[in-house]
Amino acid sequence: MKKRILAMLLALSMALALAACGGNNGGGNDKPADNSTNGDTQQPAPPADDSGSGTKSVKVGLICIGDENDQGYTYNFIRGKEAATEALKANGIDVEWVVKWNIGEDSGCEDANIELAEEGCDLIINNSFGFEPFMLKVAPDYPEIEFIACTNQASWGDGLENTHNAFANIYEGRYLAGVVAGMKLQQMIDDGEITAGQAVIGYVGAFSFAEVISGFTAYYLGARSECPSATMKVQFVGSWSDATEEANAASALADMGCVMISQHSDNTTPATTAQSKGVFHTGYNNDMISVASEASLIGTRIDWAPYFEYAISSVANGGSFDQDWCHGMDMGAVVMTPLNEDIAAPGTAERLAEVEDQIKSGELQVFDTSTFTVDGAELTTAFALDTDGDFTPDSEEAVFDGAFHESYFQSAPYFAISIDGIEWLNQAFG
Amino acid sequence: MTHEKKTPLIRLAKRDGMEAWKIWCIRVGSILAALLLGALVMALVGTNPVTAYGTILSGALGKKTAVRQTVKIAIPLLGCALAIAPCFKMRFWNIGAEGQITAGAIAASYFALFWAGRVPGPMLLVIMGLAGAIAGGIWALIPAFFKAKWNTNETLFTLMMNYIIIGVVRWLQGGPWEGRKGSQIIPQFDAAACLPRVLGVHCGWIIVLVLVVFMHVYMNHTKHGYEIAVIGDSVNTARYAGMNVGRIMMRTMFLSGAISGLVGFIVASGANNTLYDGVAGGVGFTSITVAWLSQLNAFAMVAISMLLAVLEKGAETLQTRMAVPTSISDIITGILLFCMLGCEFFINYRLIFRKKEGAK
Repeated sequence: MKKRILAMLLALSMALALAACGGNNGGGNDKPADNSTNGDTQQPAPPADDSGSGTKSVKVGLICIGDENDQGYTYNFIRGKEAATEALKANGIDVEWVVKWNIGEDSGCEDANIELAEEGCDLIINNSFGFEPFMLKVAPDYPEIEFIACTNQASWGDGLENTHNAFANIYEGRYLAGVVAGMKLQQMIDDGEITAGQAVIGYVGAFSFAEVISGFTAYYLGARSECPSATMKVQFVGSWSDATEEANAASALADMGCVMISQHSDNTTPATTAQSKGVFHTGYNNDMISVASEASLIGTRIDWAPYFEYAISSVANGGSFDQDWCHGMDMGAVVMTPLNEDIAAPGTAERLAEVEDQIKSGELQVFDTSTFTVDGAELTTAFALDTDGDFTPDSEEAVFDGAFHESYFQSAPYFAISIDGIEWLNQAFG
Repeated sequence: MTHEKKTPLIRLAKRDGMEAWKIWCIRVGSILAALLLGALVMALVGTNPVTAYGTILSGALGKKTAVRQTVKIAIPLLGCALAIAPCFKMRFWNIGAEGQITAGAIAASYFALFWAGRVPGPMLLVIMGLAGAIAGGIWALIPAFFKAKWNTNETLFTLMMNYIIIGVVRWLQGGPWEGRKGSQIIPQFDAAACLPRVLGVHCGWIIVLVLVVFMHVYMNHTKHGYEIAVIGDSVNTARYAGMNVGRIMMRTMFLSGAISGLVGFIVASGANNTLYDGVAGGVGFTSITVAWLSQLNAFAMVAISMLLAVLEKGAETLQTRMAVPTSISDIITGILLFCMLGCEFFINYRLIFRKKEGAK
């Protein structure tokens, strides 16, 4: 009995203590030093503007669909976050990150946005495509906070000043990966391992819409620039991340005679399958050489650090920033993972550097209309945007100056044309 | 070897007539014990328990906006607890509220997606609410019908019904109701199909508060409520008294499902403004805890659902501010519920320890 009373007393004193705590926090949300755990000010304006020597600090919220253990999509954001933090620190900007992990593409995302806004974030980044509609419900209530929906497309044109979209010209990286693949194919032809007609690429795609189509078309054009006889088959798996289905698709493609596999999906299973089938592979999002050292030639990924740096420093300096940001190799927003020199064709690294420079300088257009045909004819007209999904164009002509201008009118890809040389084995819209 | 029956070390004896103050002491004590255990867990993961509890409270109730978010969490919990109360009173174990909420949400969403603009706004909301209630009611009526006719096991039946209806939503999400191709997302509702806000929270809170009063009256002051109570005590007594047990079961389940369906409408229209497979989000199960903790008292449910909502919202803030994983908060909530439910056991039963040998 004595023990019980003691326990009760203890608990009571604790309850009182925390009641006091709660009281403190309750009223003073506009006092700068209201909370020991929350050292940052809640004012959206940059707090320490006194003289040039003082560092500025920004509180940034990041909402993630997964966590860093996925070694793919979210991990890539975390890498960007860390690199950006370092770089900004060198410029006198301290970033305090608040990360919400494993948020669903549902009203949980809305709650997470509200939560971060109420915690005094100056900038809130939503990392997944499906977060956007929920983010847009919160943004109007917090006009002083900037919101970013990565990879989606409704924020830049919605009439709100504080909502942003961002993507990277990943098709540039795909094109380069294609160059590596094409050189390997040409080497195999030259060595007599395969005939020119057997230079078939197999592509594991997630869904049959623009982001994926744009990616594999760029990849194919890169490959054909080095191996003119190359053709491609595309198999869609109907999921962004389904390790088993991705492996099955890669396996089926190899059985159909594809000697090179690439992918637009989240897992490394296409790489391992390629290796077990004795064919080659180029990857996405992550360096896959570690899992398939005899098959994986190279990979490409988005580096979010340049964008994060840009957006965060704009917020820190109190300025506005692009509502629709999209850059590629010119700003280091798209990078190649290390080249597997052991299996790549000789001279690949030099050629890669050459083409990369051409892309950076704008000398080479990935979707140069003189390099491909659609139903046997050159592409002369294509509309860019269909933002509302009503199948009528919402923007100007995308084909001009001899090229289809991808990610020119908006950051999210919109090249959705089936070109000659690529065979779609199926379609998947989810 | 003796054949003498051994007295077990601990025996249980039913006890009744405990004084109210003692009962409340045990209840308060159990909450405090839970808080202490929770503090232990937090200390183990290296968080200062006092700061952590403070963060939970201030995160859930510290600001006006925080309170709104907390109330938003409490609304479906309260509504659904009210829905299952009559079933549980009748000892009909309806654990299908999850599915009934989803059914209601689907029906409401149909009108939100395809009737918006065709009928005036308030009318649309009424239609959506009615459709939700009817769909939820029918989804609950099916297991009740089978129970009444062939005495099927309602626990399994209602549980299985959940999976079916959630599967239907997944199909709608990826198929006929999908917005942009490949997105797996149903578009946001037209503004006319969204419940208006009152005091910053969607007006679902008014609907559930009205339901509290309704359910209190229904359970305690109507013939229906009396019949439910009698069946809950003894089905045979009810039969002897000439009640049509099967009919009452079906009627009660329809009402229960209808209220759950209405909750589904409130969640889809008020909180989410769209439909997705997680629309019920475990509310159908958590509300069982709310109903039990409140001992099926409608007014107590208001307090209990708020308590759970405070914990849930506070846990989010705990993760935001102190980077405590949400799973730790889940553990603490679990401990609290366990202690609170467990203490009812000690209120109803007494432990009798075996007396020393020879003391017979």
